[in-house]
Amino acid sequence: MSAGPYGALLDAVRGVRWPAARRVMGATLGAHPSQLRGNSSEFSEFRPYRQGDDPRRVDWRLLARSDRAYVRLTTDRATFRMSMIVDASASMAFPQPGLDKWRLAREVAVGLAAVAHAEADPVGFAIAGKGQTVFAPRARRSVLLEMMRALDATPPAGTTAIAPLIASARASRIVVITDLLGDADDLLAAAGLRVASKGEVILVHIVAAEELNPPDEALLAVDPEEPTLRRILDGAMRAQYRETFSRWLDEMATAARASGIRYVRATTTEAAPHLVRRIAGESAHRGT
Amino acid sequence: MIFLAPWAFTIGALAAADVVFLHLVARQRPAVYLLPTTRFIPDQRTLVSRVATRPRDLLLCVLRALLLLCAGAAFARPVLTPARGATAHVVLLDRSRAVANPSDAVARARAQMSDGVPVTVIAFDSVPTVLARPAWDSLAGAARAETPGSLSAALIAARRASVALAERVDSVQLHIVSPVAASELDAATERVRAAWPGAIRVARVALRSDSSTTWRLDRALPAADPLGPAMASVRVAPGARVTRLVRGTPSAADSVFARDGETVVRWDSTAAPRPAAEGLAAGDDVIVAALGRVPVSLKGRAVARWADGTTAASEQPLGKGCMREVGVALPAAGDIALHPPFQRIARGLLAPCGLTVVETSADSTTISRLAGTAQNAARADALRSGTDRTSPLARWLLALAILLAIGELIVRAQVGPEVA
Repeated sequence: MSAGPYGALLDAVRGVRWPAARRVMGATLGAHPSQLRGNSSEFSEFRPYRQGDDPRRVDWRLLARSDRAYVRLTTDRATFRMSMIVDASASMAFPQPGLDKWRLAREVAVGLAAVAHAEADPVGFAIAGKGQTVFAPRARRSVLLEMMRALDATPPAGTTAIAPLIASARASRIVVITDLLGDADDLLAAAGLRVASKGEVILVHIVAAEELNPPDEALLAVDPEEPTLRRILDGAMRAQYRETFSRWLDEMATAARASGIRYVRATTTEAAPHLVRRIAGESAHRGT
Repeated sequence: MIFLAPWAFTIGALAAADVVFLHLVARQRPAVYLLPTTRFIPDQRTLVSRVATRPRDLLLCVLRALLLLCAGAAFARPVLTPARGATAHVVLLDRSRAVANPSDAVARARAQMSDGVPVTVIAFDSVPTVLARPAWDSLAGAARAETPGSLSAALIAARRASVALAERVDSVQLHIVSPVAASELDAATERVRAAWPGAIRVARVALRSDSSTTWRLDRALPAADPLGPAMASVRVAPGARVTRLVRGTPSAADSVFARDGETVVRWDSTAAPRPAAEGLAAGDDVIVAALGRVPVSLKGRAVARWADGTTAASEQPLGKGCMREVGVALPAAGDIALHPPFQRIARGLLAPCGLTVVETSADSTTISRLAGTAQNAARADALRSGTDRTSPLARWLLALAILLAIGELIVRAQVGPEVA
């Protein structure tokens, strides 16, 4: 498999573990603690036998020593289906010409997918740009390469609602990589529903450094998704812009967290491997 | 290239400078910056004052400046300055009946010209004919006209021709090759001459002087006779024909005199009738003056008529000669006798029978005035018309300005909304 420009990233995230934040449901053997306790070799505890338990799980040696019937419980591990939703709208094509937002979004998506794939989790992805590209979660080896190709072949343009993709995602873990400049309210609502149904939603909010600190010179700001929206950004306006934008960022973070969504703000100055480790590490911390 | 109205070009240039200035320092829309978070900028204004180091919308700026410069230049009436020659020559060549030898006149005109010098010949009799490329040989062989010459008409034609010549040369020299007969001058000649802004070289050629123009009266006129000035310029030669002027009824001796081949003219020029404003025509001359009508009793060919068509003078053959009666009474006081037209009429009425051409040379004072006091040829700038002149360059510049305006519209549409 040729990782192309993602080679250094994949090397940097090799070995990173990304456990589920809670026990997962699933029978397929994987790396995440399962809510099921069965016959695996990883002993967990003894529990007094209750009527209806499988007699094959009774620990006969302990019964012989204590004359009491105990059932041997083990910890099962399962896979965790993950789906990545990448915002490829026109607002992600910023700043020109480097497109740092889009670059960071692609690298984070590929990095997280690689980490999940390394744990044998089925990985699916959807790209929401001018149109929609959806790949169902799969665990086969080529899924990462397909994802890289799809991301590289997609120029950020147009605008597509992300909320429907969240609602229709066939995965327990959903990672949404977006700048929240589209259907933010619907997105949060859909994500909240997934969280309520015991899903895990991670919202990676991509923010460009130039959005936080626009250039000092007077500019005519034009919204790439709505070209008729034109505003002057000069000295007096810049301070108000920063204040408004900062307030909006806080509101988004608060709203996401209130819905149980993991909110991760990522600025374009942050290296993608570091961001991947941060996202996975926080999950590990939560999982423990 | 020169501008006849440089103020218009100055205005255009100032307007173009203003356009450049506005493109530099006026309120401008700053550079477009694609910012996804534009919605968080307060919506207050769309313009900002900014001092630019280079004009915004350079192509538009150039188009607008060129448009204004072209329009200004077009209205400034541009004239392409041609490669000028030193001096052009305009020759007024007399072809009237007053010229004794037309080929000699052509030779005199040709002698004054050098090769390579632009020459315009205006051959004139009663009507001037402009010859931009004179064929000297053809002119020399052409017959003389039998009509009186008009120097006034010729001078006007020369003035018109010189306007076109003035575009190509620095000065125009006017030549008159003519005997300058008195009949070629009229009341307008002096004023028309004054319109020529330079010296005129007058080359006088021989006046036509055939035998019929040489005659005399058989008796000298009294000093106070009003017909005296008219007779003063009549040349007298030995053996010339004789005219007898009688004041009253001709006598038998007068009849004999006429039958012998001479001319008797009965003209009581100081008769009683009260002078009134009358028009008198004889030959090519017409005068309007205070004159008295005297009935003409002689039945014969009318040689002069009043304005209403009645006969003012009649002539009847008698033997070998003729009798003539003139019914024109002159006022006791006045200067009509000094007027050249009247003098010509008087000479014609006193001339021997059968004489139709009576030419006399203009006096030296008149010829000196014709030559003028200026020393040099007329300057081209003085000859150019002061009125509007069409300039093909102006039309092209206007067309270019229109094209630039169209281009400006197209470019402006492509650039986007205009900044106030």
